Amino acid sequence: MTEAFLYNNLNIYLFLGIFLLCCGILGILYRRTLIAMLISMELIMNGAGLNFVAFNRFVSPEGPDGMVFTLFIMGLAAAEAAIALSIIILIFRKYRTIESTEMEEMKD
Amino acid sequence: MAGALSTVLSGSLIYAMLGLVATMFGIAGLYVYLNAPFLAMMQILIYVGAITILIAFAIMLAGPFYKKPKEWGTVGKLIASIVVSLFSFFMFSSFIMKVSWSEGKGAFSLTTKDIGRALFDRYAFPFELISLVIVVSIVGAIMLAMFSRGEK
Repeated sequence: MTEAFLYNNLNIYLFLGIFLLCCGILGILYRRTLIAMLISMELIMNGAGLNFVAFNRFVSPEGPDGMVFTLFIMGLAAAEAAIALSIIILIFRKYRTIESTEMEEMKD
Repeated sequence: MAGALSTVLSGSLIYAMLGLVATMFGIAGLYVYLNAPFLAMMQILIYVGAITILIAFAIMLAGPFYKKPKEWGTVGKLIASIVVSLFSFFMFSSFIMKVSWSEGKGAFSLTTKDIGRALFDRYAFPFELISLVIVVSIVGAIMLAMFSRGEK
């Protein structure tokens, strides 16, 4: 904590990652449309990527492992967004809604 | 942070998407602070350029134009979600405060060359695997779209 600048501190980035995670959890639990839930998922993944890069910067600055993992996270997020959005559009064509609470046919 | 909050709390989906864009730019700036300008560039390219455009297309296709979706849950749900997120926040933050991370020493100067070398040297198999995942997801999305059109 003796650093003069705020951005030279590991805890700041960890707290930002936690903040993103909590925003994502709040969004997933609270929003009702599926697309908003997907956006919240993106928030959670970005929090994880931020943590990876922060640990790579401060704890093990020898190799680019955290950056590589963050790149993988980005690729997985892109693939997941494509699949989820196509499923959402299918659901919208079938049920004419994008709200998660109105889809009760699969409950049985 | 304000972008993340507006992402979660804004009423409309379009505003949520714009909040996501703001958040992505903020995280890209943090990557620049973390000496990772390549990651910042990739962040802007992938998230702002690809995923947000994808979400925008989905919003416009499944658009809430003729039927405004009811966005908000009940008050009890709001309270429950806020409690859950705050609980996880304080749990993880107490964990962070308890553990003192051993700060590594040495200058942190990694270039894009190092990242590429690590990608094709140590992480060659996950790299190929993730490209396979992306190809499968693209094919899956196309097949989903085609079959739904055939049903109609």
